[in-house]
Amino acid sequence: MKVKMLATRVALPVFAIAAVSAQAHAADFDWMKFKGKTVTFLANNNPVSQALLTYKADFEKLTGMTLKVDGYQEQQMRQRLVTVMNANSDEVDVYMTLPSREGEQFAAAGWYADLTAMAKNDVAKDYDSAGLSQALLKAATFGGKLTSMPMNLEGPIFYYRTDIFKKCGLDAPKTIKDVEAAAEKIKTCDSSVTPFVSRGLKPAVAYTFSNMLHNIGGTYIANGKSNLCSAKGKEALDTYSRLLRDFGPPGVVNYSFQQISALYRSGRAAMAFESSNELRTVMDGGARLKDTGLLPFPAGEAGQVPTTIGWGMAVSSHSKQPDAAWYFVQWATSPEVQKKMALQGIAPPRPSVANDPEYRKWIDEEPVRKEWQAALDVLATKGSSEVGYPIVANPQSREFIGQAVQDLILKQKPIDQACADADKALDALIALN
Amino acid sequence: MSDTAAPLTQDRQKLEMAALSAPAVFFTVAMIAFPVVYTIWLGFQTFSSTGKQSFAGLANYSKLISDYEFWHGLWITIALFVLSLVLQLVFGVWLALVLFNAKRLPGILRSLFISPFMMPPVVAGMMWLVILDPSLGAANYILQSLGLPPSDWLASPTWVIPTVALIDSWQWTPYVALIVLGGLQSLPPSVYEAAQIDGASPLKTFQRITLPLLLPTIVTAAILRSVDLLRFFDIIYITTQGGPGNASNTLNIYGFRVGFEFFNIGYASALMLTLTAIVFGAVLAFNRLRGAVAW
Repeated sequence: MKVKMLATRVALPVFAIAAVSAQAHAADFDWMKFKGKTVTFLANNNPVSQALLTYKADFEKLTGMTLKVDGYQEQQMRQRLVTVMNANSDEVDVYMTLPSREGEQFAAAGWYADLTAMAKNDVAKDYDSAGLSQALLKAATFGGKLTSMPMNLEGPIFYYRTDIFKKCGLDAPKTIKDVEAAAEKIKTCDSSVTPFVSRGLKPAVAYTFSNMLHNIGGTYIANGKSNLCSAKGKEALDTYSRLLRDFGPPGVVNYSFQQISALYRSGRAAMAFESSNELRTVMDGGARLKDTGLLPFPAGEAGQVPTTIGWGMAVSSHSKQPDAAWYFVQWATSPEVQKKMALQGIAPPRPSVANDPEYRKWIDEEPVRKEWQAALDVLATKGSSEVGYPIVANPQSREFIGQAVQDLILKQKPIDQACADADKALDALIALN
Repeated sequence: MSDTAAPLTQDRQKLEMAALSAPAVFFTVAMIAFPVVYTIWLGFQTFSSTGKQSFAGLANYSKLISDYEFWHGLWITIALFVLSLVLQLVFGVWLALVLFNAKRLPGILRSLFISPFMMPPVVAGMMWLVILDPSLGAANYILQSLGLPPSDWLASPTWVIPTVALIDSWQWTPYVALIVLGGLQSLPPSVYEAAQIDGASPLKTFQRITLPLLLPTIVTAAILRSVDLLRFFDIIYITTQGGPGNASNTLNIYGFRVGFEFFNIGYASALMLTLTAIVFGAVLAFNRLRGAVAW
């Protein structure tokens, strides 16, 4: 599900986008239409929702509605969502979703309300649907139905310590080979730091590994079969696991974003490949503000094909008040709110916000923010939303990718066996699609 | 009041009592029975990745037999159960003896000794996750300060089970100690006085008197801990999520992932019912043992 975002924006033939663009600005649109109602929002307690919920009171004042927030960590949020949706319960009106991960699955299960008509007919004058990233809207469209509205734009990017690179006589890496060479040199030049860190936790690996695979020129599926044992697949598995095994921190197989950000922020890692969303966490306290450089992940044989995804806000198909729920979704993804979130370091899924003078001023305040925005611009133009296998059982496919990488990091299997075992399991999943 | 009126009144009283308690009894039975019956029913269903449901008969149970992850999970569950139980019983009895004999120990210190099991397991898991982090944690810092090699702790496929067992034992040994302490306080002093007159050494007294008399209490503690240990979930979920690889993937963790991450609620129900049967089996075995050691 590759999305050449800006490049293909004009040509996208998806009906949902046409529908969204052809919105009717109802002259009588009234934010107070559902005054007195309570909307329940199942939130993933991540930086995106944290930034959004800073303005919860504004929503309640604007609409007269009450926003009830049910917030959990990501996995617990999904667990709760699965329980609620399987029980056909209406207790959740709006929930956060990752179309790249569960979109196909949730759409096939009928858990998303179709937002197409609401986004067309029931929008405030200043909502500017057409200003939303059309590629992210496309990625959230399944079977012709628009299932969620984008909250942010994100992807893994490359954080590196400019002071350590300077001390070790290194330039910013341009290719994956440069990253390997830099890690090797830093290992001897400054033994007090971990040369390279990225995700090693099994279910979390696919997020960063996909970028590596695509940069190298690999694909997850070829001719309907899992393709990890192809030459490119094995190269990606070998490179990713070797970087973590030989240059990563001890215990990297348990590392996800929390550990990576903590290690890098504390000054104990020279290079980190982690989500753009972590900028705020990594820069917290200011220690890394002046000695960090940011890049999209350096190129492989296929150039740069960064992973680009975004959280979306979906209305539950079991909600008894989808119209009121839509008002919350609309407010949360409006230009005004997304601009406020952008000023807190949440990359906006609206080019108009990215070009807003106030936002540009914030970006220009620190060189690292400029580099962050430049990396996000590359993500927006060259990004692929394929994280794991593009199949209904995408979450399960990520487990097998992670298992293969861990087998190699822990030296539990030779590469031929690790990829063959993964391919066998993944072929079974593909066959179920 | 006639002679025949009394039995009628008693019957009426019984009926009234039954009628009054019926709602509470019905509610309690329903609360226990409904989830169990529903899970049994789910165990005969199959769910596709998209949540579509169909009757599967015994397919979920026959799948268990050929599922490597099930057998691996069972092995991990049993290994963790045995290791943790042994640690907790040995150190629990030891801690109880310390607390029993140190009668002048200040109350605050006694409270401190038994405080870990009052901590929510999620908090304990998070705390140990930070302490045992191989790069940033205090555990390796202390080891290295003492000139010892650092460990990967929870990130090592070899050491993850002993490490998790240690974390659980840190938390639950005081609970075992508290139960055993109660048992110690109820032992008859006359037996000890007789042993003292006979000139028995402290070690002999412990081996021949204290331990045999304490066995029913220790088995009770073992039953209580067994139920928890076979259902082990929270600390593993917080610290390793079943990893590295599948080195700490207990049946409970595996069932959770199958159900809530892969959405196959039917197979997850079959897994959990199998685990429930194992827990029942263990409790029955320990109950028989308790009967054998009762005095």
